[in-house]
Amino acid sequence: MTAPVFLLLLAASAPLTRQSAQSGTHVLLVTGLSGEPRFAAAFHAEAASIYDAAKARWVRSDSSLIYLAEDPAQDRARITARATRDEIAKAIATLAGRSAAGDVVLIVLLGHGSGQGADSRLNLPGPDASAADFATWLAPLTGRIVVLVNAASASGDFLPVLSGREHVVITATKSAMEGNETTFGEHFAKALVSESADADRDGRVTLLEAFDYARREVAKGYETRNLLATEHALLDDDGDGKGSSTPGGATGDGALARTVAFGITPVSSDPRIAALTAERRTLEAQVDALRRRKTAMDSTGYERELERLLLEIATRTAAIHAASGAKP
Amino acid sequence: MPVRAIAALLLMLAGTARQDDGVAARRRIRALAEAGQLAQAEDLARRGGTPVLVPLGEVLALTGRLSAADSIFQLAAARGAPGRRSAEVSRAELAARRGNGNAARQLARSIASAYQTDGGTWPAEDKVAAGRAYVVLGREDAGSLRAALRAFDAAVAADSNLIEPRIRLGDLFLAKYNAPDAKTSYTEALHLSPGNARALLGMARVLAFQGSPEATAGVRVSLAANPSLAAGLALLAQLHLDAEQYDSAAASAGRALAADSSAMDAWAMLGATAWLRDDSTGFAHARAGAGRVDPRPADFYSAIAEAVARHRRYADAERFGREAVVLDSTSSRALGVLAINELRTGGVDQGRAHLTRAFSIDPFHVWYKNTLDLLDQMKTFRTVATKRFRIVAPAAEADLLAMYLGPLLEEAYDSLAARYEYRPPTPIRIELFRRHADFSVRTVGLTGLGALGVSFGTVLVMDAPSARTAGEFNWGSTAWHELTHTFTLGRSGHRVPRWFSEGLSVLEERRARPAWGAGPAPEFLAAFKAGRLLPVGRLNDGFVRPSYPAELGFSYYQASLLCEMIEARWHRAALLAILDRYKAGLDTRAVLAGVLSLTPEALDQQFQAWLRARFAGPLSHIAQWDGNGPATGEFETTLTAAHALAEQKRGPEARAAYERAEAMFPMYAGPDAPPLGLARLALERGDKPAAVAALARLTAIDESALDANRREAALREELGDPAGAARALERTLWIFPYDAVAHARLAELAERLADPARALRERRAIVALAPSDMLEARYQLARALIGVGDSAAARHEVLQVLEGAPGFEKAQALLLELRKTPEARLQ
Repeated sequence: MTAPVFLLLLAASAPLTRQSAQSGTHVLLVTGLSGEPRFAAAFHAEAASIYDAAKARWVRSDSSLIYLAEDPAQDRARITARATRDEIAKAIATLAGRSAAGDVVLIVLLGHGSGQGADSRLNLPGPDASAADFATWLAPLTGRIVVLVNAASASGDFLPVLSGREHVVITATKSAMEGNETTFGEHFAKALVSESADADRDGRVTLLEAFDYARREVAKGYETRNLLATEHALLDDDGDGKGSSTPGGATGDGALARTVAFGITPVSSDPRIAALTAERRTLEAQVDALRRRKTAMDSTGYERELERLLLEIATRTAAIHAASGAKP
Repeated sequence: MPVRAIAALLLMLAGTARQDDGVAARRRIRALAEAGQLAQAEDLARRGGTPVLVPLGEVLALTGRLSAADSIFQLAAARGAPGRRSAEVSRAELAARRGNGNAARQLARSIASAYQTDGGTWPAEDKVAAGRAYVVLGREDAGSLRAALRAFDAAVAADSNLIEPRIRLGDLFLAKYNAPDAKTSYTEALHLSPGNARALLGMARVLAFQGSPEATAGVRVSLAANPSLAAGLALLAQLHLDAEQYDSAAASAGRALAADSSAMDAWAMLGATAWLRDDSTGFAHARAGAGRVDPRPADFYSAIAEAVARHRRYADAERFGREAVVLDSTSSRALGVLAINELRTGGVDQGRAHLTRAFSIDPFHVWYKNTLDLLDQMKTFRTVATKRFRIVAPAAEADLLAMYLGPLLEEAYDSLAARYEYRPPTPIRIELFRRHADFSVRTVGLTGLGALGVSFGTVLVMDAPSARTAGEFNWGSTAWHELTHTFTLGRSGHRVPRWFSEGLSVLEERRARPAWGAGPAPEFLAAFKAGRLLPVGRLNDGFVRPSYPAELGFSYYQASLLCEMIEARWHRAALLAILDRYKAGLDTRAVLAGVLSLTPEALDQQFQAWLRARFAGPLSHIAQWDGNGPATGEFETTLTAAHALAEQKRGPEARAAYERAEAMFPMYAGPDAPPLGLARLALERGDKPAAVAALARLTAIDESALDANRREAALREELGDPAGAARALERTLWIFPYDAVAHARLAELAERLADPARALRERRAIVALAPSDMLEARYQLARALIGVGDSAAARHEVLQVLEGAPGFEKAQALLLELRKTPEARLQ
């Protein structure tokens, strides 16, 4: 028996851990004006994959999942309403009302952008929504962890406007000057739902892992096509208004993003399995602690201890599979 | 009007010289000199007194009487003759030509200093003199070259009808490898004076610099305007020499020296020609002549180094470059040519050091700058060593490329060593570039080179497969081709002519793998039918100066067929004997006579008959080619009809038409080859075996058929032929090695075919590709290591994977599995 409602998970092996079982996740997906059918299809595919993962594993109820799109007729089962400026404001207000302190509110914007500075905009049917608009709309979400991902072109200037305490702001470009179509959204959407981005294979993708994955894939895409990269994604989560292209160091950007995670596999509610899982997490934390001592240890001793712990973990995993009747 | 009549008219007009203070006389003398009527010009000048002393000195300098010219210029300066500053700067230039750098600098500084004081008031001609003085100073002080540009520009601004500064600007730009600006300057000069021989020569030099086949014609146009233009004759000698036409080169150099015995470039071409013919007496004669002009003739050696490098004699070029540096360690040209050839022969560190010195003297030199930038970039490259090779590539690709290239090169070395009974010195360095422009810079210092690869002997340079669009070329056959040059250059002492070396390289490509190497295009056969292929005696022209764009490609294929025929009729020993006789310094006629007992003309006859027999079928369905557009004839109309029928969904008729077209020209492997159409039709009717058969016929003759190979692999897998699928996928790796999906499929097929070594290689390739899911790739690598029985390496790999991702369940299971192995239990 698995429970599909496990929402926010925090990396057990991360230096900063946060108990998450009580936390809730709320998701708003927005696809803006497409301009061309191929963009409409691409934006929808990306939003739909996140939507499905959120519905299956992240949100506790459907009312915590809102999808606004250029054309609701494109997919009436998933799309809540048309992606207008007013609907976005209304949706964020709805999530503000549903969420509590400590919850995660994930907002993903897919589309084309324009403008600069606080007037940077996501292009929408009707009036566009500017970075300043979002700043206003997000103000009531104090106490929540707000994750705003603007994967649109020319999105870079959203970052300084929306940077703030308990905010993780991710933009597909480093400035409003990078106005060509972007590929970041495609890779970021994939990262949130696939094992490939789960760098430590703990069944959860942290925002940091998802960002790193998408950034690498974007770079590789340009490299493979022998093109000059025209998008350079940034992440800011220390509130200084300055994004980092390679967050995750000991200090600065990445610390908060490392603690916000999204499950990519269902979690069992069987108490025996839960106990084994807990044991395994403890062992994983021990591996992490061992890894930190690596430079101070002799290599043979380190490897012996590492293998011992890993075998312990492997044994627990085998036991979990045996208990659930699943094959490894 | 006949030249003699013009001269008579000018002589008659000379009588009025005194009336206009010599202005008209100076113009007339210079007009005669520009037209090559040097004797008449001198005669007129000698009768004109002080007002025409400067043009008299110019005429004397043009005819190689440098001391006399210097005296006249000195006299002109002393008497304050018109053009005094031209006289002074001419003295500086003469001093520089004669190797007297101190005097040259002193004279040039004096003019430059005066120009800095009140140059703004100088007339245009004097501003030109100032520009020339700065050019002299620019040999050692690059900043002066900017001043030269400004002075020439000021001269143009002062008198927009003046030709001289525009020609000087063109010369300056071209000396710094800036052909576009040079061309603009010469074009402006020609706009003012369409028949100006020096401007015409400038345009020809631009063409030669760009490798245009029109360069020779361009020089001839300039020589028609001035038959005594020594610089033009020297360039003509160089172009002949580049085409390996030694007699013509020597003759042109001789004519240049007859006109101007001080023409250093002409002495250099004479020396280079002699050197390339192993004529030590001739070389000594040229060296002595150069020495009479300049006792330390660094430019003589630099020019020879440049010339012999174009003949692929890179070690000789390096030696000449070093000699030039010994004579003048401040010459950026000498340092540059030494550096470039050190880089070509593998002396990267020395080459970089010398190039840095050259660039510090001449920071406007595009070749130096590009190459130094590239060398900086190459510091991040990685070198992978095999037994006899050093594979140098961008770090991100080095492991992947070396995984395939290393074994291929080792195989090629053994194969070619047996074929050519020669073992080149090792290690052989091969550099791969992911940007074609970088490969081009590494090769010729500039972007725009059309080739895929270049062999400098034991240094090979080529495009990495990432440098081109997938499917554009086969990097395996390219590497094999370039390595073949290493053998043919080595065995012939770098004396093999281009046509024979290229012919053997393409032939060896075909021998290496079934589909590799060029095949016949319909246009090639149509050109043959029209008698447009070059005879063997002129086949080199097809490489050095093709007369139409397709001729270069035709020449490669033609040369390879010629080599193939020689081997078939006279055995491989004949190929070796030909190389040996080239090494002995014989020319093609003597080589063919000695080895084949044939004249080039007789060999041509045999070759044509052989070609007619070999391509009898296709030739009967292809019309003669007029050199424009695609080839026509029954094959083309049948194939066009087949495409139309397929488009109209008239399957059976289309199939019949494709089959007829294929029967007419079965070796045609173009993008619309009949087997592709047949494969499509077969798939439409659900006949997969027929589709596979059709695709296989194409992939057997087309080395870069990426899509066809991919489709063949997929179909073979579907049809239960994993071995065939693996072979097709293996071929794709030599076209595009960056497809992780293809590697994964090949790894799985290898596992199914109980070929664990290949599976391991493919798993390693996937890891080298830095895939999105590196953990999965390394897990699979660990499994492949178990497959080859290397449990220790597998354990190491899986521990590393789990160290970063302890929750990775598949890897955990593998670790548990590994614990069950006897080796693990012993640990």
